[in-house]
Amino acid sequence: MNMRRTAAVARKEWKETVRDRLFLLMAFLLPGLWMVVFGYGLVLDVEHVPFAVLDRDQSSSSRDYLYRFIKSRYFDYRGSVREEREIDRLLGDTSIRMAIVVPERFEERLLAGRSVTVQTLLDGTFPLHADTAKGYVIAVNNSFTQELLTDFLTRTRGLVPGEAHRLTEPVSLETRYLYNEEVRSTWSMVPALIMFTLMVASPLLTALGVVREKETGSIYNIYSSTASKAEFLVGKLAPYFVISTINVAVLWMIAVWLFQVPFKGNIAVFFAASMLFVLCSIGIGLVISLLVRTQMAALIITIIIAMVPTLLFSGLLVPVSSLSPGAQVQAHLFPMMYYTAVVRGSFLKGLGLESMWTDVLALACFAVVLWLVAYGLFTKRPKA
Amino acid sequence: MDTIVTVSGFVKRYKKHLAVDGVDLTVHKGEIYGLIGPDGSGKSSLMKAIAGVLTYDKGSVEVFGTLVDSERAAERVKQRIGFLPQGLGLNLYPDLSVEENIDFFARLRLVPERDLRERKTRLLAMTHLDKFRERAMKKLSGGMKQKLGLICTLIHEPELAILDEPTTGVDPVSRRDFWSILAALIQEKGMTALVSTAYMDEAERFHRLSFLSGGKVLASGTPTEVQALAPGSMVTVEATPQVEVIARLKKSFRQVESLGPLVHVFTDRVDQAAAKLEIETALAGLTPSAVRADKPELEDVFVALLLRSAERKESPGGLPTSTAAHGHDGLAIEAQGLIRDFGSFRAVDRVSFRVKQGEIFGLLGANGAGKTTVIKMLNGILSPTEGAGLVAGADMKTAGGTIKQRIGYMSQAFSLYMDLTVEENIRLFAGIYGLDTGAMNKRFQWIVGMAGLSGYESSLTSRLPMGVRQRLALGCALVHSPRVLFLDEPTSGVDPIGRRRFWEILSKLAREDGVAILITTHYMREAEHCDHLALMYAGRIVAEGAPADMKRHVEQEAGRLFEVVVDQPGLALAHVQQAGFRGAALFGTKLHVFCRDPVRDKACACRALEESGVRVMSVNERSLSLEDVFVYHAMALEQAEQAAGRHVVAA
Repeated sequence: MNMRRTAAVARKEWKETVRDRLFLLMAFLLPGLWMVVFGYGLVLDVEHVPFAVLDRDQSSSSRDYLYRFIKSRYFDYRGSVREEREIDRLLGDTSIRMAIVVPERFEERLLAGRSVTVQTLLDGTFPLHADTAKGYVIAVNNSFTQELLTDFLTRTRGLVPGEAHRLTEPVSLETRYLYNEEVRSTWSMVPALIMFTLMVASPLLTALGVVREKETGSIYNIYSSTASKAEFLVGKLAPYFVISTINVAVLWMIAVWLFQVPFKGNIAVFFAASMLFVLCSIGIGLVISLLVRTQMAALIITIIIAMVPTLLFSGLLVPVSSLSPGAQVQAHLFPMMYYTAVVRGSFLKGLGLESMWTDVLALACFAVVLWLVAYGLFTKRPKA
Repeated sequence: MDTIVTVSGFVKRYKKHLAVDGVDLTVHKGEIYGLIGPDGSGKSSLMKAIAGVLTYDKGSVEVFGTLVDSERAAERVKQRIGFLPQGLGLNLYPDLSVEENIDFFARLRLVPERDLRERKTRLLAMTHLDKFRERAMKKLSGGMKQKLGLICTLIHEPELAILDEPTTGVDPVSRRDFWSILAALIQEKGMTALVSTAYMDEAERFHRLSFLSGGKVLASGTPTEVQALAPGSMVTVEATPQVEVIARLKKSFRQVESLGPLVHVFTDRVDQAAAKLEIETALAGLTPSAVRADKPELEDVFVALLLRSAERKESPGGLPTSTAAHGHDGLAIEAQGLIRDFGSFRAVDRVSFRVKQGEIFGLLGANGAGKTTVIKMLNGILSPTEGAGLVAGADMKTAGGTIKQRIGYMSQAFSLYMDLTVEENIRLFAGIYGLDTGAMNKRFQWIVGMAGLSGYESSLTSRLPMGVRQRLALGCALVHSPRVLFLDEPTSGVDPIGRRRFWEILSKLAREDGVAILITTHYMREAEHCDHLALMYAGRIVAEGAPADMKRHVEQEAGRLFEVVVDQPGLALAHVQQAGFRGAALFGTKLHVFCRDPVRDKACACRALEESGVRVMSVNERSLSLEDVFVYHAMALEQAEQAAGRHVVAA
């Protein structure tokens, strides 16, 4: 490898990228924008479920019962209605996703020691949402029932509240969430979005950069020169590697500062793995660019290749372990899964190289294989 | 003589398409070897294979004694080759400056920095690009891009330069400039060049050449040798009525072409007196007002060869005559003091001209001279900053819509739908112009007959040969029977027979149907077809008149044109220019010199040459071509501009 030739190609590529407004935007604005848009958009938490109430009892007990929903951060109170017909309308136009109907004589029956049925109407359009909301309703309802019971025991048996509580709930459950203590989907999603963003931006830049030369014919300058294949590939892609590395840092800052995701791991390991992943993604863009002729084709194929396996198999939305066996095999065929593990491990679990070395090694292997394939596909004396 | 390139039995296929079919070629050291042929004749494939950047299927390619049959073998010769791919400036980097482009090519070729600085200075000065070092390549004019491309290709001083259509899309002045720079460099460095072109009139600039057509070599050798392959004479006749003259001549001759009021006929008779007599006999009673016989030009020879080889005399089948009689008089286009500014830049400056119905008006000028802007204003696409214009009886300022209904427009890109058949394209255009079914069917028949498209009706447009595609585009532009037709460089990349056929149709449209035609072109030979020409320079019309008048005018101003054959053309040019003959230019191995006083100046030029050790083989007077006229005007204007510039600096 001759460094002067490599440097000449790299310098030319850098100048072109920085001076071409479209390329410049694609290189530096697209990744940050992508990350911010998806970071705010891809939130899977079920909170602030809008709901309305129909209180047919209008007693202090019924108000007490409903107040527990109203004050919860999981629900968002949108008012009370007088008739059931109104509930249908509100649910129909999605102004609420849930309604609670308290029957007549709610307080009277409770005081009489009889059971009551409260009706909950849930919008089942999004099953996952409805299920989660149902869980919240059950939890609120349980706690209300339990309090009634405790209250009853203290009153009737003259027990102190602590004892009464022990009697009503002999086995109590204590849940502690690890790594993502507040179970915020942002914490889980944003680190993986670094992977998603790099997976879209780097191959796109690479593929368009190389195909552009094929489209205009300036690639013939390389074909007809004595620059070797390696010199061209390294020189051409070095600027993209630098740009992508800068982007890794920018994305990391967006995650930590804008989305307030804690970074618990080893920053050196994280950046090393990120660079390996950038090499993989550039390699993917390069392979695509060598197989197509036009920038349009490169754009479409890159987007498809970057999006589909990433959304399905990378662990971004669904953990790889809960995929079907066939899908799990496919997940292992792409570098995205390994990098997702590294990113989440570094951000949330605080893992170091000793527990992630297999993932890092896999990334290195992918990088080597992709670049070897690209090297094999690239010829300075093509057939057409 | 050393052999640089040897190609034998070369075959190149792209999937099923046979691009080059058995070509043999030898290039010797120090020569400029030309590959001439229309688009799709196989030139590019052949050149790429020689440059080692394309595989081939059969035969052998040897460069510098190395058999180029693998990537590895190709690498061995690449340092000694400079390759300029096709497409004006397309291989350059638009966002880099002139200097950065050169630096990149030099470093890619490992030119030592000191050599780079020195060569860069010299080449930039030679090409007059030194003032534009910092300018981004995308902001250069066509001619400048082309010169920059040449510098970048030659910066590592290759022994063999392979230049693929370096002059396509560039005006004649830039082209001529380009050739003299190339000739000087080759002379100086003992370089060899393999150059392709689609302009037949550039053939004379090569030491030896091959004429390619359909992937085969039709003729090769020195220009003189090629000329000898189709011996004969070119007889020019002026007689009326021209339509009748052409009809009679066509009965006995295949190559008949009308150029304005003149008719050119090619005959096999070499003896010029006999040739004249033969033509006069064939005219059968029509007495010509003038008859002249000349040696045929290379383009005529190529047409003769093409006709002979293919035997594909597409019978024009008698062009259908117009259905309605149209008035031939009246103004079709009138431009009055048109001005168009883009910001502070004046693209068109007080342009006025008139085009009558039935007239073919040629607008000539370098890239960026303002031709397209004028056309756009007349079409109502662009509004003028100042000035007025009438097109087909409508005011271009207020009646843009009416104008579009009354004119036909055909661009260089042909603007056809490649995935539609010929018939579908015509019907689509008819639909766009709102023709009803009856009119559409009638017009369809007329277009098919007029453009010679019968047999092609259901072929996909993308599969048509360039010439047929061009006639289809013309047909589509004529679908609504416009009275005025605008043609913006309509003949790029079409073979000579196709071009002649195209012009036959145009003359017919003008002469018989009275359609007014405004055309722009870079082919000076085509400009000869026009009744009236206007030459644009920097937004202004600087010369105007019938082709013959323009030539006469230049002869009055600059003198007669002499063709000087010498043994060292590059050196000779420099000496002649030093001796005060500023309009001198190189045509391949020949020198063109204007002499105001034929006897004295000629002797003076010869003396200057002999004194500097150049041997003068022959000096002959030549009739001026339109290219000479164009270059004469452009050079005079440039010199005036430079003088004015100096004046401003001095003040």
